Amino acid sequence: MKHSQTLAATAALAAIAFILPEIAMASGEEVVSILEGAPKPSRGDYPVIAGISARTIAWSLAQMHLFLAAFVLAVPLFAISTEMMGVITKDDRYDTMSREFMKITMAAYSLTALVGGGLLLALLVFYPHLMGYMIKVFRGQMLIYAALFGLESITLYIYFYSWDALRRGNRKWFHMSIGLVLNTVGLTLMFVANAWTSFMMSPSGVDAAGAITGTVWEATRNPLWNPLNLHRFLANIAYGGAIVGGYAAYMFLAEKRAEAKAHYDWMGYTSNFIAIIGFLPLPFAGYWLMAEIYAYSQQMGITAMGGILAWLFIIQAVLIGTIMLAANYYLWSGLMRTDRGAEYAKYVKYIAVVIVGGFLVWVTPHSLVLTPSELQVLGGTNHKVLGPLGIMPAKNTAVNLMLVMTFLSFQMFYRSSRVATVSWAKQGNMVIIALYVIGIANIVGAGIYGYFTPTVYKVGASVPQVTTTLMIIVASVVIDVLMLRGAKTEKVHWGRMSERSQYALFVLPVAFTWLMGLMGYIRSSLRTNWHIYTIMKDNSSEAYIPTIGEAGNTITAITLGFMAIMVFVFWLSRLGATKQSEPKQEASS
Amino acid sequence: MLGNKWVVFVVALVVWAAFFYSMDKFIMEYQGLPVGADMMPV
Repeated sequence: MKHSQTLAATAALAAIAFILPEIAMASGEEVVSILEGAPKPSRGDYPVIAGISARTIAWSLAQMHLFLAAFVLAVPLFAISTEMMGVITKDDRYDTMSREFMKITMAAYSLTALVGGGLLLALLVFYPHLMGYMIKVFRGQMLIYAALFGLESITLYIYFYSWDALRRGNRKWFHMSIGLVLNTVGLTLMFVANAWTSFMMSPSGVDAAGAITGTVWEATRNPLWNPLNLHRFLANIAYGGAIVGGYAAYMFLAEKRAEAKAHYDWMGYTSNFIAIIGFLPLPFAGYWLMAEIYAYSQQMGITAMGGILAWLFIIQAVLIGTIMLAANYYLWSGLMRTDRGAEYAKYVKYIAVVIVGGFLVWVTPHSLVLTPSELQVLGGTNHKVLGPLGIMPAKNTAVNLMLVMTFLSFQMFYRSSRVATVSWAKQGNMVIIALYVIGIANIVGAGIYGYFTPTVYKVGASVPQVTTTLMIIVASVVIDVLMLRGAKTEKVHWGRMSERSQYALFVLPVAFTWLMGLMGYIRSSLRTNWHIYTIMKDNSSEAYIPTIGEAGNTITAITLGFMAIMVFVFWLSRLGATKQSEPKQEASS
Repeated sequence: MLGNKWVVFVVALVVWAAFFYSMDKFIMEYQGLPVGADMMPV
């Protein structure tokens, strides 16, 4: 694409972006009660087509769309960050990697739109009353969504295809500004879609019968909108990082050339770093979302964490524990890239003990599902020793310690290639060690404190735990940055990595996908037999919470489907870079 | 430069302990949960 064409296209985009808020304002001003209330469809009003399970179809398509959308929205977010890193450090590797990130996104983008279209059709066919009502509540916003989607497509294509044309000098800044527009549009798209989802859980801008009483903005700004926005934003970063990490592992294993292996090893490390950066604050965003769910409706909160869905949180713990173990294992394996890495290897076993211990605490249920004879032997549903580990103070302590240890694994690798040269290096190390000792004691202490105080204090004490974890990370980074200024750097042998470690990188996207499917199901099921909580009842034949086994099978099938798509996308990206060799000249010619 | 590393370690332990204690107290009180009125039977 020529520079002038790019400029013209960007100017057109800017004009559209300028007009969009006008449309949004117009839709917001239309404050009229246009409905008596939400529709009340009877069972006969739900179309039944060839005995197909409407819920399973909508569930699968919605989840698949979310997986793909999370990925294609997240990758440009960190692609622009790594592109910026390339400009700051003047290291071309960042730029090449950013472009490669986008290449994978391009392959997945059309699939996102395809599945999104499929979801819309499925909803219109199987749930026409619900969709009719939602369109009336959100009015012009749905058109804005469509316009934004068009804008997203245009900016995405320009951003990717103009990469080499706008690679150096001032043109690079222009290119990054296109990326900024792309990300702004992408995030806005997500926030709009989140408003519809969160409206179904915590409707606002309507009265108790569902009659529209407020503006579109009031319906958008419902109680769970922002907690969901933050949670999805962070989760998307972590998820996108994990998937491109899987791609890097795929390429690392497929490539034979040492140079290419070094590149994909570095890409895998960076992707894992991005995934962990997104993942570290995620439990806290999840905690906020859950707290807001409780604040909005205690019944909804108890359904999640005290009812049938509570058991799924145990599976969640298993998956998060798997992610932690895999990410840490990958980091420990990375110590072999540096000659000084072996010096740090002796500490790995202690970190492993904390992570495995934390994992075991996290998966310990508070009460057990038992047969009458087991109940008799145990003397109740709570185990005398392990039962106390099933409540939140123990789990909060476990997760915070696991996060601190994961950060420590990162720090060890970072330091393994740097030798501090400042005169106060030994003292600086002591300050960091003291920080870890006291910080960990504070996290454990706040956990124990929760056992001796009323519930309100128990919940309140989780905040200092989180803050302590963040303080350990921030203070360590600050001291490290100061201490390692002018440090003697040692060579990192990128590519000197075991093949086994690459399978840990594969574990991450699989576990993340499963986890998102599981938690998405829990969040959606909180509405129980309501399409829109307390406003519009689901009267279809499938208005019940499926058994854990049925839900688990459906989530697993969707996960497998998505992973198959991802392998296809990876293969496609590799195929695009493969060139057939020149035909050999015939000896006779 | 800053003295014996073990002296620094002990001082750092005390300083961090004071810091985290103050932080905990501030956060709990900010949430309307004054420390001292908390040790009630569960």
